[in-house]
Amino acid sequence: MIDDHPMIIEGYKNTLLGENQKEYQIRIDIASNCDEAYDRILKSSETIPYDMLFVDIKLPPSSDGSITSGEDLAKHAKELLPKAKVIILTMHREDHRIHNILKNINPAGFLIKSDLTSSELLLAFNNIVKGKAYYSATVNDHFRKMMTNKFSLDEKNLKILYHLSRGVKTKNLPNYVSLSLSAIEKRKNQIKEMFSIAKADDQKLLEEARKRGFI
Amino acid sequence: MLSSHFKFIFFVLFLFLIGCEKPNEIIDNEDLKSNLIQTYIDNARDTNNSVKDRNNNLEKAYGIYSTLKDDTFKVGKIHEISFGYYALKNYDKYKELNEKALKLSGLINDSLNMARSYAYLGIYYRRSELLDIAYENFYESEKIYSKINKEIYDAKEITFDHGKVLIDMARILQRIKAYSESEAITIKAIESFKESENERYLPLSYSNLGIIAKYFEQYEKAIEYHFKAIEYGKKNKKEISQTVTSYNNIGIVYRSEKKYDKAKEYFTLALEFEEFLAKNPATYARLLDNLAHVNFLSNDTSEIPELFFKAFRIRDSIDDKQGMITNALHLAEYYKAQEQDSLSAQYAYMAKDISVEISNNEELLKSYQILSEVLKSDEGVKFAQAHIQLNDSLQKDERLFKDKFARIRYETKEIAEQNQQISRENEILIIAILGLTALFLLGYIIFRQQQSNKELLFAQTQQEANQEIYRLLLNQQIKLEEGRQLEQKRMSEELHDGVLGRLFGVRLSLDGINQRANDGFTEARNKYIDELKFIEKEIRLISHDLGTESLQPDVAYIDAVESLISDLCEANSINFEFTNDENIDWEHIDDQKKVNLFRILQESLQNIFKHASAKTIKINFDYLEDKINLTILDDGIGFKSTKVKKGIGLKNITSRVSQMSGVVQFLSNNNAGTKVSVSVPI
Repeated sequence: MIDDHPMIIEGYKNTLLGENQKEYQIRIDIASNCDEAYDRILKSSETIPYDMLFVDIKLPPSSDGSITSGEDLAKHAKELLPKAKVIILTMHREDHRIHNILKNINPAGFLIKSDLTSSELLLAFNNIVKGKAYYSATVNDHFRKMMTNKFSLDEKNLKILYHLSRGVKTKNLPNYVSLSLSAIEKRKNQIKEMFSIAKADDQKLLEEARKRGFI
Repeated sequence: MLSSHFKFIFFVLFLFLIGCEKPNEIIDNEDLKSNLIQTYIDNARDTNNSVKDRNNNLEKAYGIYSTLKDDTFKVGKIHEISFGYYALKNYDKYKELNEKALKLSGLINDSLNMARSYAYLGIYYRRSELLDIAYENFYESEKIYSKINKEIYDAKEITFDHGKVLIDMARILQRIKAYSESEAITIKAIESFKESENERYLPLSYSNLGIIAKYFEQYEKAIEYHFKAIEYGKKNKKEISQTVTSYNNIGIVYRSEKKYDKAKEYFTLALEFEEFLAKNPATYARLLDNLAHVNFLSNDTSEIPELFFKAFRIRDSIDDKQGMITNALHLAEYYKAQEQDSLSAQYAYMAKDISVEISNNEELLKSYQILSEVLKSDEGVKFAQAHIQLNDSLQKDERLFKDKFARIRYETKEIAEQNQQISRENEILIIAILGLTALFLLGYIIFRQQQSNKELLFAQTQQEANQEIYRLLLNQQIKLEEGRQLEQKRMSEELHDGVLGRLFGVRLSLDGINQRANDGFTEARNKYIDELKFIEKEIRLISHDLGTESLQPDVAYIDAVESLISDLCEANSINFEFTNDENIDWEHIDDQKKVNLFRILQESLQNIFKHASAKTIKINFDYLEDKINLTILDDGIGFKSTKVKKGIGLKNITSRVSQMSGVVQFLSNNNAGTKVSVSVPI
């Protein structure tokens, strides 16, 4: 279990150990930052590999700066412990984040903390142990939204929409998205054309994006 | 008889009518007058008329003269009238009229006639033997003549008149024995006469030169001059009189040279003009006397003393006192030589008495000398003493006289010098004034220049200060914003990562425990756990809100504007609406413009708070065709645009707008609010 909040670890333990004591023998190691987590993963890959990894996305980065988040950590874990099931637990529920995590890690479990209850956690645990992936309702929603669209928006387009929805102006977007202003303008027009609302203003674009579930 | 009476009355009436119509016929009248005055003057000149008649004519002429208008013609006439009086020997009248002529010509600035008047007055004074005053007048006249622009007037005539005055001066100088000066002036006179091609006075001039040469003992030259006088006399139809005079003069020269034979020869030659001499007894007597004197000097006593007596008788008959003195002295000399002392003394006394009578001191001196020689010791000594005394005083007088003449010349020169001095002083004064004026102007210009420089400098510093204020304002705003953002971000992160995480942990734990507990309160606890979930959601939302949108530099200006508006409106309890067109790229707009718009807004708001009694203010920044339009609208009482046009606030706004080459409009109606529209190109 990797999380920088002891209270959360406490919550996981309370949930998992209380009910599953009888069915499974559960041994839990705890890491509260990237360095610690990486050490344990490395060590276990040489000795007894972990069956399951609970990874928080937001974590204190490693001291050498090579691992900055749970996302990076999960990538390493997949290489070091290819058989381990990775369960992502995060506070973030923004579409583009979910999208990224799914794309980069393809975790066995993807739980949004704010949705999470102890029964859901147990459900997820049991499913994953049995080899079934478990995603939170929000993540599933995201999947559904993605499926209903005939097309998909790439990460950059999603970012543009996301920042626009936060009230960032187009001309300031280059500060948030690593693209030039003219490239952003081009992409915006492409999105508008995809939504078949060409020449509409930003207000309309955002409304449409919300309707289609990109935000 | 009757008809002639009628005619007379008619004539009188006619004259009367003419008199009444005077103003209409003034030109005719002038003609009439000049004809009339000429007639009178001609009548007065006519020597066939009686003296009384001539006098009457002159008086009438003068009567008409006094009605003439002041001009050159009038001066000419008064001169002519004065000549009339001179001919009639009324010299006082002659003098009086010429003094009037002088005054009149001075009044009308007629310098030529002034010169003439001076010359005529000189003639009067010379006649009265007041040589110094005469000389002074001639001198004044000469001065004018030498200055007159001869191109304007008839050059020859003026040159001739000039020559006349010069010879008059020369002769006076000769008489006071200022020979060398007299000689110089005579030569000038001769030059003038030759230039004027009028040789009338050349004989007189050469005679004068001859007389002067004699005094300088240049006898040959003297004789040469006298012959020249005769030569010019021939050309001037005065041959005989000039020949007689010159022969007499030549005789005197030879007598002085002690060439008595030659002297006798010329006196005798002169005496051959009997016809002429019969008409001129004075000359005849002089010649006789001179001949006799030469005879006496050459010891040829054949015809003397008869010749002396003959001359003396003639002179006595024509009352030629000067001649009589000379004659008496010659006789006294003669008798003294004959050792007939009593007779000599008798004539010497006679000479003395007449000399005293006509106050001829030189002759008196000679008489004293003879008396002192011929009389007995004590009386002789007395006359000798008188002689010495008189000689002294004469020398003194002569010196004084010469001094006086010198002074006349000097004084007039001095006046001229003084005038020059004054004009020089005036020049200096004018130059000084001009210089000072120029200096003052220069100073003023420099002062103005500095002033305007100062103004420019002031405007520049003001502009800089404005920009600095804006920069500070902006910086402050940015810092404020930064701080706020930083704090928000910190709070957002704290909420999201810290509070939310822990809350989630707590909820999960509670939930876990709740699943295991079977005390019948599971449902109740679940409800609270759900509540916790909601709280989490809320906190997440708050955190999200706090974390959005980091610092945007261009927002700072609008923030500053908005805070200005909201601060002021809050302080004055007025509602406001503010909208800013997002298309305005404030970041790239010139600071000066931003400051100006800021100040315009400030000024307008102040106006509204002070005067409008408004309840709501609407402020818009719009972007239209590369122009920023600022509109400030209130719902107050408005104003009459004509009334407040000169208010300093509106002036400031107008000047700021024109600085940005923009347009401003103040629209207002009574009780219908005010709209200020400013349009500024980017």
